[in-house]
Amino acid sequence: MAGSATDAAALAEAILARGPSSYAPWLDRRPHRDLVERRSLPELRAEAWRHTNVARWYEVVLEGAERANGAPRIEYPAAVEVVDFADSRAAELQDQRGEETYRLSTQPIAALNALLLGAGVAIRVPSGCTAGSPVRVVDLPAAYQRVLVIIESGACLELIEEPSTYTHRLVEVVVQPGGQLLHRRLQAASSRRECSLLAVRVEAEAHYELSQLSLGSELRRNDVIVTLAGDAANVTLRGAWRLDESRHLDNQVAVHHRAPGGTSRQTYRGVAAGRSRAVLNGRIEIAPGAQQSDAILNTKNLLASDAAEVYAKPELEIYANDVKCSHGATVGAIDDDAVHYFRSRGIDEQTARALFVRGFLREAIDDLDTAQALGVIQ
Amino acid sequence: MSLLRVENLHVEVDGKPILAGIDLAVDAGEVHAVMGPNGSGKSTFANILAGRPGYDVIRGSMTVDGEDVTPLSPEERSLRGLFLAFQYPIEIPGVSNMEFLKAAVDAHALGRGEEPPSAVDFVKSARIAATRLQLSPDFLKRGVNDGFSGGEKKRNEILQMLILEPRLAVLDETDSGLDIDALQVVAEGINAFRASNNAVVLVTHYQRLLNYVVPDHVHVLADGRIVHSGDRELALELEERGYGWLGD
Repeated sequence: MAGSATDAAALAEAILARGPSSYAPWLDRRPHRDLVERRSLPELRAEAWRHTNVARWYEVVLEGAERANGAPRIEYPAAVEVVDFADSRAAELQDQRGEETYRLSTQPIAALNALLLGAGVAIRVPSGCTAGSPVRVVDLPAAYQRVLVIIESGACLELIEEPSTYTHRLVEVVVQPGGQLLHRRLQAASSRRECSLLAVRVEAEAHYELSQLSLGSELRRNDVIVTLAGDAANVTLRGAWRLDESRHLDNQVAVHHRAPGGTSRQTYRGVAAGRSRAVLNGRIEIAPGAQQSDAILNTKNLLASDAAEVYAKPELEIYANDVKCSHGATVGAIDDDAVHYFRSRGIDEQTARALFVRGFLREAIDDLDTAQALGVIQ
Repeated sequence: MSLLRVENLHVEVDGKPILAGIDLAVDAGEVHAVMGPNGSGKSTFANILAGRPGYDVIRGSMTVDGEDVTPLSPEERSLRGLFLAFQYPIEIPGVSNMEFLKAAVDAHALGRGEEPPSAVDFVKSARIAATRLQLSPDFLKRGVNDGFSGGEKKRNEILQMLILEPRLAVLDETDSGLDIDALQVVAEGINAFRASNNAVVLVTHYQRLLNYVVPDHVHVLADGRIVHSGDRELALELEERGYGWLGD
């Protein structure tokens, strides 16, 4: 059913009228349907959507919300198990995931994903296995998508989410004790309205590293929720974005330290030009009992035009008394002295600015070359 | 024809006069030292030659090989052979020294209508220059001046000079903040650069560097004017007597 809804109530009506997706019938959609029935979709100007007009996203939520033809495009080495969500084996992997990576059944946007789901893959790296080459998620053939990743104990993987289009993508990751995941996400510039939710659970002595490069869309919101659930878990989140024209990027990141001895490092670098708007809300929460947690968040932003907007807000919530926790946020302009330094060596102003910006972004992520190869940046 | 000719140069910053009629002619093959007390306009003079924004030329001219460079952008001046070693080199994290130098070398090659050097040839020449300045090869991979010590920053300026091979090198207090060993390394770099077809202007507060890089001419800048010119002996006299007597 095509159509558009402009507010939460109309959208809830339309979704209930069309009924839940028949794709991946094993998925328990009851809690999600209940949420929508209780009319709990965020209203316009909801605090959690302060910088992103949720109604603009609702307008496209029902567009193309059918299962498209074709299989998921995903490349993976032989040692890794990959199954389509249509396969009942995916239900077993969902069970293996254990409890939810985050309280997804209470998240209205995750409910939309469940009710409209059209494509999904589950990825499992068996215990102790080091996948020799990365798993590449190239494209999933539907507007509503899911990826479930299970890194079993002691296993190791590099996962690359290549630039692709969707209305909503939900990614759940579990890194079991001693496992390691390097997760690269590349989000090309687009004129679409796109949201994603990444929920990660990192168990004891496991390591999770995210490297995310985004160029923004007409509307893009990335929710990232990482839980350090086991002792001495280790998390590194790195993000870089570069927006121009009237692109929009809203990053909502939450890191929950739930167990003792965890370390989290967050580094973000953003450049906003044109009339773009960049948002980073970075929340660190340290639960009672998560003693000896060590958490740092650092974000630096460049405003490259007078009309661009940057919102950078670190938030700390600490309920344990023996922790190290710090944050820093800056917003500034491109350094004229640095540009002059380049120019004094014969480099023209445009190249100087481009090199400066590239260097600035590289402070957060080092895979600019991959991004370039995939056409995410020039 | 002089390589550099500065005539009656008047410069203001925010309406405040800083340089009040500088005359200076530098020929190929020469080293000139421009000395003077703090606030005399030495660094302004160095910066205005390189085309730093924020300075207004009110009167006078600066020519390089007979061409007036006053209207030229900093990059155009660089391509015509002007080089400024910065007093305070800028830190640019995330851009490696190698990348920075290659971009500069490529711009210069293109400016001459030549093909940029291959990456292999470039790396080879950069390594040779780094070794000459007693900088480890790792140094080229680090971010431009990022976390460098004072001495490393100054040596990096000389490294850039050796690689870009300018016609005229203006060194703005390159000796400040250097210990005696680093000073010698920097001086050796400058001496290696000296040739009959180029020239060096050393802007300095102390005559210490001049023990190693012997100048052909020494000028004293005070209140935005060259008040005294002489040879090497003048620098030694200044060391002994200070700048005060020149105003008498």
